[in-house]
Amino acid sequence: MPIDWVVHANQYYQGQGFPPYMWSVFEDSPWTLFEKTLDQSRIALLSSAGISRDDQVPFDPWALNDLSFRRIPVDTPFERLKLHHNFFDHRDALKDFNCVFPVQRLRELEQAGFIGSLAPEAITLGMGRLYKREALQEQTVPRIVEVLKAEGADAVLLVAG
Amino acid sequence: MAQVRPPRGVFLDFPLGRTCGRPNNLEEQTNILKDALQALVRIKTPGQMVDLPYEWGRPFTIQDYVREQKEMLEEKGEPMQEWLPKK
Repeated sequence: MPIDWVVHANQYYQGQGFPPYMWSVFEDSPWTLFEKTLDQSRIALLSSAGISRDDQVPFDPWALNDLSFRRIPVDTPFERLKLHHNFFDHRDALKDFNCVFPVQRLRELEQAGFIGSLAPEAITLGMGRLYKREALQEQTVPRIVEVLKAEGADAVLLVAG
Repeated sequence: MAQVRPPRGVFLDFPLGRTCGRPNNLEEQTNILKDALQALVRIKTPGQMVDLPYEWGRPFTIQDYVREQKEMLEEKGEPMQEWLPKK
């Protein structure tokens, strides 16, 4: 039985005295027909598991409204990656980043011809608790889209942390 | 996720932090990713979410999540953040 995270978060934060959170509820989905086959496509990875490279500013695992993102070359050795996120049990991810940042598996799928190619840079986001939805949509997202377009991505695989 | 309605989605009923499968389980991770990528070309209805067939193998609950988060923080030597809303 899947966990109802909305119910849990509501209980947790309202139990501490916060006002009810206005969850984003969309009635419909943005839609563009995808006309390529996978083996013709360049897929980009976007993960929200708080991963950064050792030469980048790390994410703050307790952050509120951290609207920043990182660009991580997909051939970065895992020894150079850091994970800072305290709202999921990341112990398995620390044993194998592929749990939440599956670049190695995606590179293998690229080599096998299952996908045309993996975009050279993955995008990572940090801790959730983003309440500035407009800023996220109007500032962060267009910048991410610019990066994705510049690297020729046909589609993005979004991996939630 | 059902409320947010991404254009195409797949749902894996695993505890948080294993979004693409168990650590070092190459076959499982590869299968999950293949399913997710195939959803890109197969889903024709905007907002559709497909349930993946993989099972964690034992029940897990919110209480497990809370307990595991505490354990993880204890191992790191980091206290749980306590913050109260501003009055």
